[in-house]
Amino acid sequence: MIELYLIFLPAVFAALIALSRKPVVIKILLAVAALLHLAGVIMLFNRLQEDAAALLPGWLEADFPGMIVVCIASALFCAVAIYTLFWLPASRKFEIQYPTMSSHALCSVMCLFLSTMSLTAFAANFGLLWVAVEATTLASAPLIAFRRSRAALEAMWKYLVICSVGIGLALLGTFMLGAAARFSSQGFTDLSFRSFISIKEYLDPQYFKAAFLFCLAGYGLKMGLAPFHVWLPDAYSESPAPVSVLLSGALVNCSFLAIVRVTAAVPEKLQSFCSEYLIGLGILSLFVAACFIIRQKDFKRMLAYSSVEHMGLMAIFWGLQMTDAALLHMIGHSACKMILFFMAGNIFLVYGTKEYRYISGMFSTMPLAACIWLGGMLFICGVPPSPLFTTEIMLIQKAGGVLGLLILLPLFVIFCGMTRTALEMTMGPAGEVPRKEAVPAGLRLSIIPAFLAFIPLAAGIYLIFQL
Amino acid sequence: MNVQVEILMAFFLLSCLMLAACSRMLHCIRIVALQGLLLGLMPLAAAEHIHMHQIGAAFLNISLKAVLLPLLLKAAMHKAQVKRELEPLVGYAASLLIVLGGMFISFWLGRKLNLPENAGALRLAVPVAFSVVLTGLFIIMARKKAITQVIGFLTFENGIALFGSAMMIECGLAVELGILLDVFVLVFIMGIAVMRINSAFEHIDSDKLNLLEEQTHGAAK
Repeated sequence: MIELYLIFLPAVFAALIALSRKPVVIKILLAVAALLHLAGVIMLFNRLQEDAAALLPGWLEADFPGMIVVCIASALFCAVAIYTLFWLPASRKFEIQYPTMSSHALCSVMCLFLSTMSLTAFAANFGLLWVAVEATTLASAPLIAFRRSRAALEAMWKYLVICSVGIGLALLGTFMLGAAARFSSQGFTDLSFRSFISIKEYLDPQYFKAAFLFCLAGYGLKMGLAPFHVWLPDAYSESPAPVSVLLSGALVNCSFLAIVRVTAAVPEKLQSFCSEYLIGLGILSLFVAACFIIRQKDFKRMLAYSSVEHMGLMAIFWGLQMTDAALLHMIGHSACKMILFFMAGNIFLVYGTKEYRYISGMFSTMPLAACIWLGGMLFICGVPPSPLFTTEIMLIQKAGGVLGLLILLPLFVIFCGMTRTALEMTMGPAGEVPRKEAVPAGLRLSIIPAFLAFIPLAAGIYLIFQL
Repeated sequence: MNVQVEILMAFFLLSCLMLAACSRMLHCIRIVALQGLLLGLMPLAAAEHIHMHQIGAAFLNISLKAVLLPLLLKAAMHKAQVKRELEPLVGYAASLLIVLGGMFISFWLGRKLNLPENAGALRLAVPVAFSVVLTGLFIIMARKKAITQVIGFLTFENGIALFGSAMMIECGLAVELGILLDVFVLVFIMGIAVMRINSAFEHIDSDKLNLLEEQTHGAAK
């Protein structure tokens, strides 16, 4: 019952927001939707421990990885909703070079986006999973073009075309999974995860290999694994701060969850085949991210490539079958990336540029913002006491010699590139601030990520003592 | 194997070739509508006993893919005032050759897949579906106008749906409706995006959408 509540509640609020025109009402509705959704997730966590039966078996079921994903999405949405309340007026006041989407359209589509992400987390059927992942693409595409600039429209077009084709491949993969069951000795019944897991040893290996590759390409594209990551830097850097937080912190997890679902149906004898592909794409993502981060001029694109890096790490975790560490890494990455994208939005609000060479001496102009920005950059690179430090140590221990070296080398390059950018932006003499009048607003907006920063900090310290 | 299915498959292959050689946008839209119609008829032709829900599904498929989506595309085309794809990235003769090559590869792949002997229509359906998918992908890559890319995407999606219906994978009514709804909303959003791009750039040539390339000196705004 709660699953349906979590899926339909944001959709209902999306309709309510779309119908209302008063800015105050829109803000209240957005905040209420976020809080009610979070309350529902907490209730579901309590019920999950009681191990109650699912309402619609074979269609909607809540399990542990799905719960983690919906929990992250809900918590992030809550933070984003509160941030949006203060960010929207500031953005309307200072960022006036482009016409933008109306406030009620933004808030309404954001609620729809949350609804589709909840559906992805609870889908217990490969067909429904595909429908949900495609729906997340559709709900997020209009958000990217919040600013009606040419660059934003271009980013949205690329996102729509590339992601839809990619997700189309995943649909072909889903049908091939069906074919693999059809040509097995057990025969095809339905596309639910449960029936696939029960017959997985009998699946036709040839069709399953093809199905796995198509699904990996399709959902991997949506997740941002190299070489399918081309849409990701454009979409992340052109979207406004609240949207990039949702895209980088919540949406990628949904796509990763889709890959997790497919790997659950892998027959024993194909396990190594699938692991090799996951690890191979992961390593490639790390190297691609390293190459683009070290020469990146645009700090929002840099954060986007850092997402490519972490998606690669998550694929490697999953390939090495470190499931708990992968989920832990996912939570840590979402928390750190959320703080960084909030800060990137604040910096963009004050400086009006995404190129780091025009920004310097943030410690003297906006000290609080500079502290969080630098700290966040160190955290995302896995400097202790970041939670990512612990998971990466576990990964290196498991990966051993050659693979460990292949992981550590790009991680080091990424660390150099990201800290250099962060240091150049924060240190040095105070540079010119184009929008002096926006500095107080930027500082006020930094208070939210400052509070949120305690979550990864506390979690990281706790994890280090557990190591 | 049954004859009606074979005829439908042959029409599908023909529609791919026509699409590759067609420069007028209106013709392209009509061809995609034809594909939608063929796709809707396929389960009826393949089934031995026609059930009520199959007729319902066929009706839904045809009304969406053969009527509603083409109308939407036509509206977007009129708004953006594009009639022809004048300078495609790959010429029409070369396009035909490439699509033919794609069909050749698909049929070769279809022979390699070890389908059971009694598969019947399946033996033809898999290569045809792959040909349609490849044609769609090729159209997306080789044409400049944003609308033609939408047409390419629809062809691609038709190919995948053909594969699904040929393999007789029953995903359940909810999923089938979900897939149709997703495709519809996607084309709807793409249509709006085409108009937005048209008014912001004064053209809809997607190859000129290149503000966001990686640059060494100063990334895009």
